[in-house]
Amino acid sequence: MRVTCTVNGEQHQADDVWEGESLLYVLRERMGFPGSKNACEQGECGSCTIYLDGVLACACLVAAGQAQGRGVRTVEGLGSGDELATIQQTFLEAGAVQCGFCTPGLLVAAHDLLERHAGPTDAEIREALAGNLCRCTGYEKIMEAVRLGATRRATAS
Amino acid sequence: MDLPGITEVADARLGIWRPGDAWLAGGTWLFSEPQPALTRLLDLHAFGWTALQVSPDGLDIAATCTLAELARQEFPPWQAASLVGQCCAALLGSFKVWNTATVGGNICLALPAGPMISLTAALDGVAEIWGTGGAVRRIPVADFVTGPGRCRLRPGELLRSVHLPIGALQCATAFRQLSLSALGRSAAVVIGRRSPSDGALVITLTAATTRPVQLRFPAPPGPDGLLATLAAAAPRYHDDVHGAPAWREAITRQLALEVLDELERL
Repeated sequence: MRVTCTVNGEQHQADDVWEGESLLYVLRERMGFPGSKNACEQGECGSCTIYLDGVLACACLVAAGQAQGRGVRTVEGLGSGDELATIQQTFLEAGAVQCGFCTPGLLVAAHDLLERHAGPTDAEIREALAGNLCRCTGYEKIMEAVRLGATRRATAS
Repeated sequence: MDLPGITEVADARLGIWRPGDAWLAGGTWLFSEPQPALTRLLDLHAFGWTALQVSPDGLDIAATCTLAELARQEFPPWQAASLVGQCCAALLGSFKVWNTATVGGNICLALPAGPMISLTAALDGVAEIWGTGGAVRRIPVADFVTGPGRCRLRPGELLRSVHLPIGALQCATAFRQLSLSALGRSAAVVIGRRSPSDGALVITLTAATTRPVQLRFPAPPGPDGLLATLAAAAPRYHDDVHGAPAWREAITRQLALEVLDELERL
């Protein structure tokens, strides 16, 4: 089957999509957006977190056909051209990345949080990132990156 | 994950049910584990059902309503509306899953810990079931779920919606949930509600029991009366890695007493 959707603001189409494919597979293997990671494949780890019509979803749990005609935003679409999104920059500065496998999902989830809450508390950050598992960092650097991101966005606005 | 056995995704309005079919709503469970028995998905979104409809009679929740839609909804000043957020939060899954998972899917999956079962059973929800050939039947959610992973859907039937009656929505409620870990799957959910008109009390047990169990009292029964009625009901307590039956029974008794105490103070 053919799946057509908007990914990061541009129309994309994939042909010969097999009916049982997940949106994650289509994004990574057919549309050229490998940023979203394929890890647990059961909605537990958050590595495949994307925006689907503006709300977060686990791409591994979404049938590709259900994305037909809808809008998808992946980690590749957070920044603008070569310019990183604020949250991407603060992840770098805070050293919130180790192996990096969970990072795309965390970035999307943290981006969503800061879009919804300009000044989140630590509890709100933890809640927002509760569906994203990291086995390297112990989360402290990630917390620091999100706090820094919130501060930087507030300063810029 | 990908489902290699699926060869077709069809419009649920047009597909004639056959072995190997599954209804596709949110897909969060279907796509979370291998489905070797399935060959075709029938997409319920083709029906275009309105997610939530408030009326003088109560609330109708479409099977395809997501948990996020339910959680976001602003309801009339029903006392029981607070249960919605409490039950959504009882789902083992992040809020990302709320955005995709559906009320109907959670009920039909029929896991003891299904929080939409807890919510709708506790509020005397009635499931509207569509059968092949246009037949419609209605079953209380408390009777719809018959055991772990089992419900009263026959082959080819689908859950269309759940109706929550206004009388239940106007009741004061008390909610208790417990699991082995802070964010773990519910080992016990006890929900009580008390009618503002006649003081009648209903306590609904889910998660700990293999299927919903409801205890009805014309007036608050007192702790001894509650425990006697619970013992007489003799529920079967669920046994899995999220809690042993004896522990579930013990915490159910404790949570039921807490719920009773809270509602008696009203």
